[in-house]
Amino acid sequence: MYVTRKKPVLMGVLALALAAPALAHADAAKDLQVAARALTFLENGPTGKATLGVVFDPSKPASVAEKNAVMAALGAGLSAGGLTLVGKPVEAGAVSGASGVQALFVTRGVNYAAVGGAAKGKKLVTISSDPACAQSGACVMSVATEPKVDITVNRAAAAAVGVAFKAAFRMMIKEI
Amino acid sequence: MKKQNLFAGAAAVLAIAAAAPASAQSIDYGSLETLFGEPVTTSATGSPQRSTEVPVDMTIISAADIKRSGAFDLPTIISRVAGVDILNFAAGQSDIGVRGYNQARSPRLLVLINGRQVYLDHFGYTDWAALPIQLSEIRQIEVVRGPNSAIFGFNAVSGVVNIITYNPKFDKTNNLELRAGTNGATGVSLVSTFDLGERLSVRVSAGNEHENEWKNTTTAVTRAMVHNPSTARANIDAVATLSPKAQLRVEGSWSNGASTQVISTFAYAAHRVKTDSAKATLSVDSTYGLIQAQVYKNNLDALTPGRRYLNEITVASVEDLFKIGSDHTVRVGLEYRDNQLDTASYVGGAVSYTVLAPSVMWNWVASDKLSLTAAARLDKLSLERTGTFPAGSPAQSNAAWDRDISEVSVNLGAVYKLTPQDTLRATYARGVQAPTLLELGGLLIPPATAAPTGALITGNPNLDPAVVSNYQLAYDRDLPALKAKASAKIFFQKTEAVKGQFSTAQADVPATATTWTTYYYRNVSDSEMKGAELSASGKIDGGFHWSADVTYTDVNDKPFTNDATLILRKVAFEQTSPKYRGNVAAGWSNNAWSVDGFVRYVDDFASYNGNVLEPVDAYATVAGRVAYRMENGLEFALSGQNLLDDGQAQAKSTSGLLAERRMMFSINKAW
Repeated sequence: MYVTRKKPVLMGVLALALAAPALAHADAAKDLQVAARALTFLENGPTGKATLGVVFDPSKPASVAEKNAVMAALGAGLSAGGLTLVGKPVEAGAVSGASGVQALFVTRGVNYAAVGGAAKGKKLVTISSDPACAQSGACVMSVATEPKVDITVNRAAAAAVGVAFKAAFRMMIKEI
Repeated sequence: MKKQNLFAGAAAVLAIAAAAPASAQSIDYGSLETLFGEPVTTSATGSPQRSTEVPVDMTIISAADIKRSGAFDLPTIISRVAGVDILNFAAGQSDIGVRGYNQARSPRLLVLINGRQVYLDHFGYTDWAALPIQLSEIRQIEVVRGPNSAIFGFNAVSGVVNIITYNPKFDKTNNLELRAGTNGATGVSLVSTFDLGERLSVRVSAGNEHENEWKNTTTAVTRAMVHNPSTARANIDAVATLSPKAQLRVEGSWSNGASTQVISTFAYAAHRVKTDSAKATLSVDSTYGLIQAQVYKNNLDALTPGRRYLNEITVASVEDLFKIGSDHTVRVGLEYRDNQLDTASYVGGAVSYTVLAPSVMWNWVASDKLSLTAAARLDKLSLERTGTFPAGSPAQSNAAWDRDISEVSVNLGAVYKLTPQDTLRATYARGVQAPTLLELGGLLIPPATAAPTGALITGNPNLDPAVVSNYQLAYDRDLPALKAKASAKIFFQKTEAVKGQFSTAQADVPATATTWTTYYYRNVSDSEMKGAELSASGKIDGGFHWSADVTYTDVNDKPFTNDATLILRKVAFEQTSPKYRGNVAAGWSNNAWSVDGFVRYVDDFASYNGNVLEPVDAYATVAGRVAYRMENGLEFALSGQNLLDDGQAQAKSTSGLLAERRMMFSINKAW
C-alpha cells in the first residue's frame, strides 16, 4: 500500500524532470521579452542594438540549460520597443573581464553574490529569472511571467550600478 | 480673448520645443500594457496601475473592443459594460447611468477625455454625440463603477468614464473610415498622426456623421421637437518634448451638432450644441516625483428652443506623484476651477462659482498580498451671482448667492490576493454631487405676464449637494485552465439629499402681490440601493472569445415628504431603475475575418410622461458585426444594431420615440 502510493509521486517527479528543459525554454522566451522591455524603462538606458551577456556556470546543468534557452530566445536579435538585444554567453567566473555587454542575464544556479559583485564593479545591470537573485541584492532586477508578469527591482543594487528606472515604471513594480 | 492667449502660448512653447531632440518621460500606455500583458490605467488613484490591481471596480474597453463592437456611438459601446444602464431616447441621444439612477440628462456620471471633463457643466450631463473624438483615436475607455470623486471631483458619484486617446508621441495612429447605412446614415472619420521634427508629435482628427431620426409614432412628440442628428467634430493633440524629463501636451477640440433630445423634464426638444476646448499639460519627471501642471478651458454654446446656454469653465491643477521608499506611493494635488453660466432664458444675470480643491492619495503595498489605498479631496465651492433679475422674481438681490459649499470626498480600497488566482477587493467611497449652475439659478424662465400672473421657473441657490456613499466587496477568480476569469460583487449605496427638479405642480414660493409663483429645484429625498453583480469572460482556442454578466439592483427611495413628490420632480428612482440588466457577447476571428454578436437584456422599468409614470417593458436587443480585413489594412464591415425589433421602447414608451433597427456598412483603412 505504502509502495503503491509512492509510485505516482516518483513518476510525477520523473515527468517534471523530463519536461523541465522544454518548460525552461518556453519560460526563457517570455522572461527575455519582459526583461528586454523592462530595460527600455531605464533612465538613459540602452537603445538600438545592445548585447546581453548571459552568465552561466558550466558545471551546473540547470544553468547551462537556461543559458541555452536564453540564447535560443535571443536568436539573431530580440526587439522590444527601440531596443534590440543580442546574446553573448559569459562564464560566471569571467564576468569581471567581460567586455562589449550592456547588461547581464544571470542564469539560475550560478553564484549570485560573486556575479553580482563583479557586475557592480563593471556598473552592469543584472537580471535574473530567479527572485532570490534580486532579493539577495546580487541582481538589480528579477522577472517572472507565470502566472502573471512580476518584476522586482532591488533599489540598493540599482544604486550600486548607478541606474534608475522611470517613475511610472517604478510605481507598477515591486521594489525592495 | 483668453482662449486666444492660451492657444498662442501653447503654440509658442510647441515651436520652441520643436528645435532639439530628446526622449520624453511620460506614461506610455502601450509599452506598459505590452510589458505587463494587461491594460494600464491611472483612473483609479491617479497613479499608473495594472488593471487587475486597482482598488476600484473598473472595466477597461480596449481599442479592439471598440472596433469589434460594430457600434459607432460611445453610449452603445459603454452600455455593454456590466452594470451600466442606458436610456436611448432618440437616434442621437442616449443617457448613461451606472447601477440605476439613470435619468434624462443624467448628472451623476463624470466623463473625461484624457482627464479633461467633457460633461456639460450647466446641466452636469454628457452630450455623447458632442464629444470631440473619433472612435479610432481611442486607446481605451476606462469605466469606474461607484463614486471616485476623491480623485476626480464633482459628478463622479455613480461612476467615471475616462476616455484615453492614443498619445501621438508613442502611437502613430492613422485611420480613414467611410460608412453608410439604413435610414440615411452616413459618416466619415479621419485620424492622422505625424512628427514635426524630432521633438514634436501631432495627431489630428475630424469627422462628420448624419442620420435620420427614428420614426415618430406618438403625438406626444411634435414635429418641432424632432431634428435629424448630425454632428461634426475635430481635435488636435500635440506632444512636445521639452527636455529628456519634461513634455508638454496641448490639445484642442471643437464640435457642432444638432439632434432630438430629451431634456431633464423628460420632454423632447430639438437641440443644438457647440463646444470647443483648449488644454495644456506640462509633465516633468523630477527628483520630487512626477509633477504635472494642467490648465484647460471648455466653452459651451447650447440652444434649446427659447433658451441659450453659454457656459465657460476654466480648470487649473497641479499634482505631484511620488514614491516614498519601496512600498508607498503618494499623490498630492490642488485644483482650481472657475465655472460660469449666463442665465437663460432671462438675459441679464450670470451665476458662477469657483472651486478650490486640495487632494491627497496614498497607496501602501503592505505585503505581497495586501495593498491599501486611501484618497481624500476637499472641494470648497464659492458661489456668486451678478447681474439683474426680472421684475416679479421673489429674489432681487445677488447676495442670496454669496454662499460656500465645502464637502470632502473619500475613497478607501483594499486589494487582497488570496492566491495568485484569487483576489478580494473591498472599497468604500464617499462622492459629492454638487448642484449644477443651472440648478443654482442659471435657469431663469420668467413668464410673459406681469406678477402675480404667471409663474417663474428658476434655480435655487440654497440647494445642497447630494452625497453618495458606496460600499462594495468583490471577488475575482482567474481560471487559467479555462482561459477565463470570473467575478462576483455585492454592493450597497446610499444617496443623501437627492436633488429634485422643479415641478409646475408644486409651488416652491407662493405668489405675492408683486412676485410670481415660483418653481425651483430642491433636495427631496434620500435613496438606498443594494445589489449584486456576476460576470465572466474567456477565450477558447481557435480565435473565440466570450463574456457574460448580470447586475441586480434594488433601489429604495426615502422621500422627505411623499412618493408623489419624487414622481413630479423626476427622481422616483425606485420605479425608474430596472432591477436586472445583463449582457452576453461572443466572437471569433482569424487573420482576415472577425464575427461578433451581442445580446443585451434590460428588465422593465418606468419612465415619465409629463407628471405621471409610464411603464417600459423589459426588452432584449441583438447586435452584430462581420468584418473582413485585407493584408493591406483595408477592412470591410457590416454591422447592425437592434436587430430583433424595428420599433422598440428603450427609454420611454407611449410618449417616446422607438429605437429602430440599423444596419451600417463601413470601409476602414488603417496605416
